[in-house]
Amino acid sequence: MALLKREEWQGFVRDVDWSYSYVDDSAVFPEWHCGTGKVPREAWSAWEEDYKVSYPEYVATQREKEASAYAVKSALQRSTTFDHLDEGWKSATKMHFGGVALVEYAAVLAELKMARFGLNGAWRNMATFGQLDELRHAQITTFFGHEFIGKDAQYDWTQKAFHTNDWVLISLRNLFDGMMIAPNVVDLAIELPLTFETGFTNLQFVALASDALESGDVNFANMISSIQTDEARHSQQGGPTLEILVEHDPVRAQWVIDKAFWGSARAFAALTGPAMDYYTPLEHRKQSYREFMEEWIIDQFVHTIEEYGLKKPWYWDEFMRGLDIWHHGLQMGLWYWRPTLWWRPKAGVSKDERAWLAEKYPNWEKVFGDKWDVLIDNVNANNLEATLPETLPWLCSTCHLPACNATQSRDGTWRVRDWSLQYDGRTYHFCTNGCRQIFWKDRDNVNHQTLIDRFLAGQIQPMDVGGILGYMGLTPDVMGDDPDYEAWTKDYVGRPVEGISLAAQS
Amino acid sequence: MTQELGAQDLAPQLVPLNAIFATDFVQILVPVTTANTMQEVAAAVAHHVEGRRVRAQPFEKVVIHNGKRLPADMTVAAAGIKPLDHIAVEYDIPEQS
Repeated sequence: MALLKREEWQGFVRDVDWSYSYVDDSAVFPEWHCGTGKVPREAWSAWEEDYKVSYPEYVATQREKEASAYAVKSALQRSTTFDHLDEGWKSATKMHFGGVALVEYAAVLAELKMARFGLNGAWRNMATFGQLDELRHAQITTFFGHEFIGKDAQYDWTQKAFHTNDWVLISLRNLFDGMMIAPNVVDLAIELPLTFETGFTNLQFVALASDALESGDVNFANMISSIQTDEARHSQQGGPTLEILVEHDPVRAQWVIDKAFWGSARAFAALTGPAMDYYTPLEHRKQSYREFMEEWIIDQFVHTIEEYGLKKPWYWDEFMRGLDIWHHGLQMGLWYWRPTLWWRPKAGVSKDERAWLAEKYPNWEKVFGDKWDVLIDNVNANNLEATLPETLPWLCSTCHLPACNATQSRDGTWRVRDWSLQYDGRTYHFCTNGCRQIFWKDRDNVNHQTLIDRFLAGQIQPMDVGGILGYMGLTPDVMGDDPDYEAWTKDYVGRPVEGISLAAQS
Repeated sequence: MTQELGAQDLAPQLVPLNAIFATDFVQILVPVTTANTMQEVAAAVAHHVEGRRVRAQPFEKVVIHNGKRLPADMTVAAAGIKPLDHIAVEYDIPEQS
């Protein structure tokens, strides 16, 4: 018997949009989960995707991917590759494992929500594969990262990080709860598959795989490439959803995409920015973070939104200016508050590295060089105490990252400015105008409390550095420290010094 | 009718502030009290930054709140600075002649 062609059977097995006779459609697809809004219910019948994978095909392909990823892992486990990896690269992987492993699990829940409440059979079918993908990603990321515990206790945070109240994790949980757990499926498909996965992670994973190979970490490159092939497929849920939403409610489409892009960009500035411009050894850097964002994220994002008849977000100028500032400020914050990290942040400001930074970012020396110079002079005066925090950085009420984004005045001076608002009887502070605007528009959402909110509410006891580190789950064996102070300070030994911490001078 | 107590008669209350010191790269949490003078507030903010990330300069420091430079001997209560308010601390650099 000849096999049927795909187009002859696909509709039977996939497009199961029955008419209900015992209940209303709204009982099966309630608005608060489905979020059709101004889009007529029947408009979703046009939802279509190009992959059209069947379940047997899916299983066969995934089986091959898994076998191949684990074969490479098993072969490399017997080698000494890991022992020769650069500390900066290891830090990038620790950050990735801890920050990503259980975000993949949150994505399982997001895909499951679309698999149940998606407004078209084809969409629900694709999300069913999507949740299986994300389950695999959660497992493979957790397993690959966790096995290094024997060599380095910080890899314990592959599993642990997401369960702690570390400020980096509070920021990520806030972002991904907003993007994956809270929204209805229409908003979700635009925020997660379209903006975050198509816009950011697809490309981030390609770049990260290439960085991993450059750094000699074949195992990581292999894992990340395996994950990326799934992302390329299930991220396609965003396009058809956006197409239908834009037709009926372009204002909502623009807002959802604007908000998701901003949140993703803030998180990328905190994690990808420092990894690319400071942790990666100079000889392995191919592109600066700004160049990477411009080539791989921005061009593609602008092309996508224009293709759907949308405009660049209202904050575009602020975002573009931020490409020269955000991640450098966050790098300094991550380094200064290094005991709060589960990796060893490199400072990355030796003379050669600074020359590279100044070439890529012409304002870098003016905005950040002076502060690094004081830190360097304190290290060289053996006053490490002055390079360690005694209070908290102020954390933004929207992105939960430190408020550390200097902007330039007309007179040329750079200052970190206050972006605040009053709401419901209290004052909120933000790192940027964009974060303030998003908070205001979303002000009645349930937002996570920032670490500052928790501290001032007395949830963190004792109210000192030790209490804060304990609250975040940091233990002495894991607490971050600079991997090699001499590497970036020795160029400056012996230079005339003034205006550093008094304790060092006495 | 009872006489109202002035700010100076009340027990000092904790006032956590969002503060930025001069050219520093980040806003920080700095707790002060209603009884602290602006000179003390400036010193409390500077403690976390001056000589640590921003080079110490031999000038007086001035507290700026809602765009206004506040006198060194004015208290937090008298200045009307409330919990969670933003303040900036700057060096009072004399204009060059």
